[in-house]
Amino acid sequence: MVKVYSFDGCPWCDKVKKFLDAKGIEYEVRDVELSAEAAAECEKISGDTAVPVTTIDGVNYVLGFNKPELEKLLGIA
Amino acid sequence: MKERIHKDVVIVGAGMAGLTAALYCGRMNLDTLVLENALVGGQIANATSIENYPGFKSVTGQELIGTLQKQAESFGAVIDEFDEIERVTLKTSPKLIETQEKIYEADVVIIASGMNRRKLPLAEEKKFSGRGVHYCELCDGHAYEGKIIAVAGGGNAAVDAANFLTKYSDNVYLIHRSQLRADDVSQKRLRANEKVTVMLQTEIKALHGDKRLESVDILDKATGETKNLAVDGIFVNIGVEPNTALFKDELTLTASGRIPAGEDCRTEIAGVFAAGDVREKEIRQLTTAASDGTTAALLAEKYLSKLKAGD
Repeated sequence: MVKVYSFDGCPWCDKVKKFLDAKGIEYEVRDVELSAEAAAECEKISGDTAVPVTTIDGVNYVLGFNKPELEKLLGIA
Repeated sequence: MKERIHKDVVIVGAGMAGLTAALYCGRMNLDTLVLENALVGGQIANATSIENYPGFKSVTGQELIGTLQKQAESFGAVIDEFDEIERVTLKTSPKLIETQEKIYEADVVIIASGMNRRKLPLAEEKKFSGRGVHYCELCDGHAYEGKIIAVAGGGNAAVDAANFLTKYSDNVYLIHRSQLRADDVSQKRLRANEKVTVMLQTEIKALHGDKRLESVDILDKATGETKNLAVDGIFVNIGVEPNTALFKDELTLTASGRIPAGEDCRTEIAGVFAAGDVREKEIRQLTTAASDGTTAALLAEKYLSKLKAGD
């Protein structure tokens, strides 16, 4: 399952979610503002709490909105 | 082989000017596509409180732009924010807009590509970008809860950013190389905010840190003294530059890199209009961007009518 570490009101997070919606990819939203657990997970993955962070396996991730990198991560390139 | 698609109007940029043009074009039943490489909303996508747009006491950029986007789409305009433009050819008929996935043949092109935030002009900027140097308070401010934040710049965007970031930190520096240019309302709010330390006549000269930003060197221009200041994150608001790289081989640009066009938004190429902050003009506000979008769309329709009538 794709996870998007993000929070409400973050424009680049919204762009990542809209991109996944447009590609028909299901994902779980992990809100780093509402959940300390999600923030800790995000920091563990990327070494930082900057968002959006998109990951499938919790190891490889894309920070921000980067279309080519997201396509590669999601295997839709 | 990329698919070729005809459009009456292709609008480059989905900020206030582009979306207003899309709204008007849609209402005139023109087959309209808006292409956006970055954020729908442009510069105001990150605005936390807009207080000078008529009809709204205070509105966030996302609220305002979200409504405008829905309005434009409800009249048939299509907005694609995922298919990046690679090149444009404007002197042909139709004009060609080649994206990563398609080639659009457009009778009219409205350029509303706006402005980009200027990068911090320091060699270490790249090393710390996203690791202490940021360009979006709304996106990255939350990562600095309880930490030391600096905002670079002295205009409205910088002052508003400093005020906004006190939501996360009690220790925010506003660092600017000369005097503040922000309007009185924003400055008054800043001066009343005890969490912000304003440092004027001060220039950031270097960034330090191992993996992340840890401190900055600042030069006090009045005394000539340089000192090191512990800072976890800098939010850069030192101005904007026109987003016209795509058009530099097609249109003559002004010395500031903008597109020369009068109040009618017509450029030197028939059927190509420039609207919003990308157009060379004295006043660049949200309201004037909306005005440009309106003008460009209405004159685009006139141009198309003549084109279709064979005039």
